[in-house]
Amino acid sequence: MSVTRRQFLQSASAALIGLSIKGDRTIAGSFVNDSFQLGHQIRDRAKFPEHRQVVKKGVVIVGGGIAGLSAAWRLHKKGYIDFTLLEMNDQPGGNSRWGENEITAYPWAAHYVPVPGPKAIYVRELFEDLGVLKDGRWEERYLCFSPQERLFLFGRWQDGIEPAIGLSAADREQFRKLEDQIHAFRATGKFTVPMESGLSESTADLDRISFADWLREQGMNSRVLNWYLNYCCRDDYGATTSNTSAWAGIQYFASREPEEKGPLTWPEGNGWIVRRLLERVGSFVQPNCMVHKISRTGKTVSVFSGDTEYQAEFVIFAAPTFLAPYLIEGAAPLHDFEYSPWLTANLTLDHVPASYGTDPTWDSVFMDSPTLGYVDATHQSLRTHIDRTVWTFYWALADGSPAENRRLLLSKDWNYWKEAIFHDLERVHSDIRQCVSRIDVMRLGHAMARPKVGAIFSPERRTLIKARGRLLFANSDLSGFSIFEEAQYRGITAADQVLRTLSGAA
Amino acid sequence: MGILLFITVLLIAACGLIYELIAGTLASYLLGDSVLQFSTIIGCYLFAMGIGSALSRYIDRGLAYRFVWIELLLGVIGGFSSALLFLAFAYTQGFQLLMYALVVVIGVLVGLEIPLLMRLVRDRYHFRDVVAHVLTFDYLGALGASLLFPILLVPYLGLVRSAMLFGVINVAVALWSTFLFAHQIAAARTLRVVGLVVLCGLGIGLAEAKRITAAAEDNIYADEIILSRDTRYQHIVLTRFKDDIRLFLSSHLQFSSRDEYRYHEALIHPGLSAIPAPRHVLVLGGGDGLAVREILKYPQIESVTLVDLDPEMTRLFSTNPMLTALNQKSFLSPKVHIINADAFPWVDSNTDSFDFIVIDFPDPTNYSLGKLYTTTFYKAVARHLSTQGLMVVQSTSPMFARDSYWCIAETLKQSGLQTYPYHLYVPSFGEWGFVIAGHRDFQLPNSLPAGLRFVSVAGLPAMFQFPPDMAPMPMPPNRLNDQVLVRAYDQDWKDISH
Repeated sequence: MSVTRRQFLQSASAALIGLSIKGDRTIAGSFVNDSFQLGHQIRDRAKFPEHRQVVKKGVVIVGGGIAGLSAAWRLHKKGYIDFTLLEMNDQPGGNSRWGENEITAYPWAAHYVPVPGPKAIYVRELFEDLGVLKDGRWEERYLCFSPQERLFLFGRWQDGIEPAIGLSAADREQFRKLEDQIHAFRATGKFTVPMESGLSESTADLDRISFADWLREQGMNSRVLNWYLNYCCRDDYGATTSNTSAWAGIQYFASREPEEKGPLTWPEGNGWIVRRLLERVGSFVQPNCMVHKISRTGKTVSVFSGDTEYQAEFVIFAAPTFLAPYLIEGAAPLHDFEYSPWLTANLTLDHVPASYGTDPTWDSVFMDSPTLGYVDATHQSLRTHIDRTVWTFYWALADGSPAENRRLLLSKDWNYWKEAIFHDLERVHSDIRQCVSRIDVMRLGHAMARPKVGAIFSPERRTLIKARGRLLFANSDLSGFSIFEEAQYRGITAADQVLRTLSGAA
Repeated sequence: MGILLFITVLLIAACGLIYELIAGTLASYLLGDSVLQFSTIIGCYLFAMGIGSALSRYIDRGLAYRFVWIELLLGVIGGFSSALLFLAFAYTQGFQLLMYALVVVIGVLVGLEIPLLMRLVRDRYHFRDVVAHVLTFDYLGALGASLLFPILLVPYLGLVRSAMLFGVINVAVALWSTFLFAHQIAAARTLRVVGLVVLCGLGIGLAEAKRITAAAEDNIYADEIILSRDTRYQHIVLTRFKDDIRLFLSSHLQFSSRDEYRYHEALIHPGLSAIPAPRHVLVLGGGDGLAVREILKYPQIESVTLVDLDPEMTRLFSTNPMLTALNQKSFLSPKVHIINADAFPWVDSNTDSFDFIVIDFPDPTNYSLGKLYTTTFYKAVARHLSTQGLMVVQSTSPMFARDSYWCIAETLKQSGLQTYPYHLYVPSFGEWGFVIAGHRDFQLPNSLPAGLRFVSVAGLPAMFQFPPDMAPMPMPPNRLNDQVLVRAYDQDWKDISH
């Protein structure tokens, strides 16, 4: 290796004046948790091994995300233990997977649950079981600590993500008007969590128009308001307002009436819930078990994974529903299920940038950024002194078609995404490169169901929900959008349906 | 040449005296007892000068060459003496040793100067004129220095830069002596080069010292800074003005040695004396050991566990003689166990039980510190209380931060504890407030340890009375997910400063 004149001068002068060379740090990292290769084997109808053994089970749960784990939790809690859960990846949790390094645990995707309202009885039941809700009070250490959220706009930080500074009178008027309308929608009781309990045909019109069009009809043209609503849709649905059904846009705001300042969150995000669920039902979970075929055979359903055929009385299909036509023999193709691609990254920071700006905050968002900002994994730490931390960076590839964005996601290398992330962060944190020692990137091609126009009242979806045979569907996408409460609700109602049928048969 | 020569005498005399004055002043600042410090330093210094004069007879060749070297050495050693002593005080245990060593070395060198100089010029003047002139200018220089030092140097330059300035003068004398005695020196060029290098060193020192002292803290801390250290967790600054030592942590005043006894007696004794048989005490924060000093006044106490985040802080208050004099070496007691840990996780994971718990954290100026004033924290602390146990909480000022004070009291109440708020006057802080809390009733104690200077049985009831201008305010509790206290505290102090 030869030393260039420039390098020599740099190191010589550095040695002379006792300074380290100021340059870009080497930043480690890679893609992690890639699972699309497995998925593509199914899509491309790859050859799978012949089955060599037969295992008989009462219930087989396919998919170990929140829906599948909730079904398992329900069965187990009701005293039913003749079941197994097959998970494709080596780590269960789905969108609630987490990671951990020497600094902290951190989320890979879903990182909070809004404080459940009174109608979310299953979520409340779970949180009572996990010690999050005790005697009607929420455990404080699981509620997001102050300060919760901040938004960077007009060159400065404000508290909260809803823009509050630099608004014109017209902007304020439109924010007020929307709030009034949301209030009215909420009062109808038709926008609830879970959505099933309030869903009413009388609101079907709102599902026939995009949220963006609905806002235009209402005369809400404020740029700041539209940025905010677009941010909310990207955050919860991975879609812009023009790709979101107005019903879903309204649901985002009208379904929640917080009884406590939240949300509920943990260093590893919803991975904390997965961990607790695994403490209870982990022995039933088989990781690295990709299902490649499901067939109905008379009185049982056969689930093929590796060289094993599981003959089950009931199958709860909790994997993303778009996989059903590829796996289930004789299943009709699906048309109404569309998914948003996402990218998340975990950044290891050896120190907080000098440009941080405020007291350490949980969630930081930049106005007019295509990304969703970042969440600080050590925010829920009880420590008063924190120097190293992990930021989880969220990016829903919402603009453009999902298929094209998926291709982009898979075609670019790690370095490309690393630079893209820095480029975004450097809008506000000019010194971020000097702070980060590692960036791991997770690519999710089908991260969450997109509640596009017509998705909520889709007959296809309603048919799958109403299925009452031996094969039940349970993924959150049956609700039209992927949030924790819907996943948990679908998992539990599927488990209850199985238990009802079993007890009826007995 | 005559007048230049005698100015040389005047200057070197001034330099010598300045170094001595700096050593004396520094020792008085840092160690206290100025009579002792000045007496011993002047004694050592004069004695060392005597040694120097005695040694001068052994120098018989190259007088001018050696004189220049002595000036250069004095420039370096004297010029950096003050900086060196500050550093030694801050980072080593050997401050006094180094100080007396420096005084002796400088004294010897200064003692050599005048005899050599007199011998250098003896051929040019009558002996009686040499003696008369040299000694006259010597004493004149001393007068000048002793007037300059308190009036101009200390107030405007500070000790570090004064020493360096006079180091520069010593070197300047060395340089012009190479010209003055050019015909008596063979290697004048070498000496000039050495002189210039030393001059550069002192120049850099002067510029650096200026940069350090020009830092913003000069405005915050009105008095002489005797220690300033950045630890991983905070910025520790000790200042001294006469007999008043003050500790600042990240720019917030923690105590003044003049009246800290009021604060610490009031923090400890009302609660601790009310416990029938206290054996185990926990102190959270309090890395200065002053609360522990008060706790150790109860002989029946078997253990004191102190949890403080910053090991630098507890080390400083365990080893620095000036600081251990303040806390009466409380950290060296075998009963005391120091744990350097973040308090909240420690409290959360530890299971020991204590009869008395002292919570003495910095004010809730930010959301990180605010976590230590929440219902979750107080509930976690209260789990450590024994059946007879009580806790006491440093709760800011009920006068200047009235909302904050009553917010802390309410937070303790909402944590399921009975609360007994009280206050006192600390001159350097103003009105200050504490809250005693526990699962049981608290009754004022009938007796207190002997020898207290502030808290008395007769005076206790008044401490628990709040006049209308500090009376309770309705406040919500401070919670992890809604830190109203940090916002209230911020607002309280904003209101005061307007």
